[in-house]
Amino acid sequence: MSLNIFICGVGGQGLVLLTTVIGNACAKSGTNVVTGEMYGLSQRSGAVSVHLRIGEDAFSPLIPYGEADILLSLEAIETLRYLEYLKKDGVVLMNRRIMHPPIETSKIITEKGSKYITLKDIVSKLRGWTQNIAIVDALKLARESGNVRTENTVFLGCLSALEAFPVDEKAIRESISEAVPKKTVEQNLKAFDLGKKSAHSSLCTLVPCRPLP
Amino acid sequence: MVLKEVLAKEKKTAFMLGNEAIVRGALEADVKIVALYPGAPTSEVLDTFSDALGTFDYQMEITTNEKVALEVCAGAAFAGIRSLTAMKSVGTNVASDTLFVLGYTGVRGGLVLVMADDPHAHSSQSEEDGRFFAPNAYIPMLEPSSPKEAKDMVKKAFEISERHRVPVLLRTVTRVNHQSGIVQLDEIKRSEFKKVKWKELNEEYATLGAVARRKKLRMLERTAKLAEEFENSEFNFTKQVDSDVGVVTASVSYLHVLEALKMLKLQSKINILKLGTTYPLPKNTIKNFIKNLKKVIVVEELSPYLEKELYAIAKDVNPALAIFGKNSGAFSEAWEYNPNIVAKGIASAMGMEYAGHKAIVEEATKYKEIIPDRYPTFCAGCPHRATFVALNQALKIQVAKGQEHYFSNDIGCYSMWIFPPISRGDSSLCMGASVGVANGLSHVIEERVVAVVGDSTFYHAAVPALINAVHNGNKFTMLILDNSVTAMTGQQFNPSTEFIAGGRQGKKISIEGICGAVGVEFVEVVDSYDVKGNVEVFRKALEYDGLAVVISRRECALYGDRNKRRRGEKIVPFYVDKETCKRPYVCLRTFYCPAYELDEDRQPRISPELCDGCSVCSRLCPIQSIKRTEVKA
Repeated sequence: MSLNIFICGVGGQGLVLLTTVIGNACAKSGTNVVTGEMYGLSQRSGAVSVHLRIGEDAFSPLIPYGEADILLSLEAIETLRYLEYLKKDGVVLMNRRIMHPPIETSKIITEKGSKYITLKDIVSKLRGWTQNIAIVDALKLARESGNVRTENTVFLGCLSALEAFPVDEKAIRESISEAVPKKTVEQNLKAFDLGKKSAHSSLCTLVPCRPLP
Repeated sequence: MVLKEVLAKEKKTAFMLGNEAIVRGALEADVKIVALYPGAPTSEVLDTFSDALGTFDYQMEITTNEKVALEVCAGAAFAGIRSLTAMKSVGTNVASDTLFVLGYTGVRGGLVLVMADDPHAHSSQSEEDGRFFAPNAYIPMLEPSSPKEAKDMVKKAFEISERHRVPVLLRTVTRVNHQSGIVQLDEIKRSEFKKVKWKELNEEYATLGAVARRKKLRMLERTAKLAEEFENSEFNFTKQVDSDVGVVTASVSYLHVLEALKMLKLQSKINILKLGTTYPLPKNTIKNFIKNLKKVIVVEELSPYLEKELYAIAKDVNPALAIFGKNSGAFSEAWEYNPNIVAKGIASAMGMEYAGHKAIVEEATKYKEIIPDRYPTFCAGCPHRATFVALNQALKIQVAKGQEHYFSNDIGCYSMWIFPPISRGDSSLCMGASVGVANGLSHVIEERVVAVVGDSTFYHAAVPALINAVHNGNKFTMLILDNSVTAMTGQQFNPSTEFIAGGRQGKKISIEGICGAVGVEFVEVVDSYDVKGNVEVFRKALEYDGLAVVISRRECALYGDRNKRRRGEKIVPFYVDKETCKRPYVCLRTFYCPAYELDEDRQPRISPELCDGCSVCSRLCPIQSIKRTEVKA
């Protein structure tokens, strides 16, 4: 059986690096992996998505609709955008952070009664699909690590807590150290640990996790 | 990307992007000349070669366009030196003049052209099917489905190219270029880069008239030999089961087929022929595959390229064969495929009940009604946003005076001006065409034509149209947005900077110098960030009775940020002073910067993580309440 993770977010949040770290760790530990990456037209602030599939029977670079075990979202609005990929009752692992696109803000100032979408709105919609929703304040944890750009690594930490995540933690840590800029290795490893720890208070109440050492 | 894997000299297992695997294959094949113009989805081929330049001995050029890239490679291959270029298929249109002739002249060294189609037009102006270049130009074509195959095929393509003295096309699609997977790396053994003596090679590459007629016959012979050879290619293989139904497929569709058969639990019920050499086609291999079948399903994206051949082959060998594909209605010629679309097509051909994915997609759509669209947009700090703010103001002034406008856009980041909330643009075609069509429009419409083109696009294809305009006395306004790099594809160098591939020193080509040299009389250069000052310049350029060129210059924000980091400079964000902001929303209404949002008091707020510190919004604020964050020394 393969593990399908649909990853989404906003251009600039480091989705591709996150994918590379997992992929390299798979290569190190002899696990099959295939991904389909969509960067979008804009360099920053556009929608970005990655289909990540780990395991021997993952063939297509695209996850079939309704077959993602995990919908990992680095930005809350984006979670809903790709909902059709998630299994019914699959796991949503999402960032608390919302990045309002310019079009939404411009609507608010021009249309009376128009309001920003909230995390509560998003979660209530997600509940129609699954009850397994874990929310991570990745920006806060990234700040705590000393580098606000480590939100992606926080999520790597969360993933690695999962029992179903078939990649060895040691390989992931090694892979982080190789993939991120040298000056930020320490901060990234800290972000990873913070992510893993935070998973135990949210994600791990929903799905089986590896025990903390 | 972890470049280390591409550079590893030893054998190992690695995780790689399709584009990186292509580079790795070329390095293993000892490629000596690479020349490229960036274009999604092939841009990472260029970037990876550029990054690897310090490690291996090869020459690299980021060329002005794809035609020049192919010609650089052809020059090397005439002298027997292995060369590679990669381009999106619309780039191959630009290079095709040369490609067709190379079919006639052939080459001595290995020449590989990686051509990426973009089904779904993810990042292109059309869903072009570039496969037809191969039969049309008599150029052999290989099609990988995965990074692993891409690497293997690049290596083989060099060998085929040398043996048959012909360029080889490696045709990919976005989902191969931007697919990552496990690749087995072979050892890299590089030879020393050496010049050869042309006279000693005893070669000639001319073609015209009688020579072309003679070479055409040679070209046909070569193609027949290739067809024969491809019958035994390892890239064409079957998965045989005990069944009278088969699938014929190629490229990434093969992987979707494997997935779809798993979904439909048909893995042991359908034979597969996976084709890797798709021109010339291995017709006997196809004959053998279909001769005893009752039903064949052809799975390929875009045009029915393989399907039409299947009809022709079946007519001889198995006229009763039922062929399912686009003609039967099982599949569409539109848009890219995925496992669900392929499963639906196969199920319909099998006469199976299959619920398909309509219900799940519709249900999900219901839940997403509340989310805003996230259109591609200009980055925080992008100079184009500032240029367009000034241009819009200038246009408004002119409209009030009775002058109306046609907005002719082009290919680059600025093409995103077409998306909401701005949604401006009367036309946007292909590289350089904004200026070409401006010539024609200026003859026939009453409105003033405004053509917009970026620096890279200017060098690529707009210069001939500009010269045409001057020569013929055509009157319009041309805006050249010079942000120093080819930004949309990842900030590659172009002649607008003094840097060339690998960050080495080159020579900068002055845009205003070119405009002046070809005789444009109105040429102004402005700083994109100076919105207020630029309105008047743009207005004059709109009013000018002749061809007016304004060059709006400021480096791409992402490129600038990288340079700042390299110099150790901090990016200092701006903030909105809550005390003084009276919420006129000028910043929001005119600027649409992604770093902006409203806080709980409906006051504009700038996300410090996103702000690039460009200062443009602060210059626009009528009450000076947008301020630079103070930095402690």
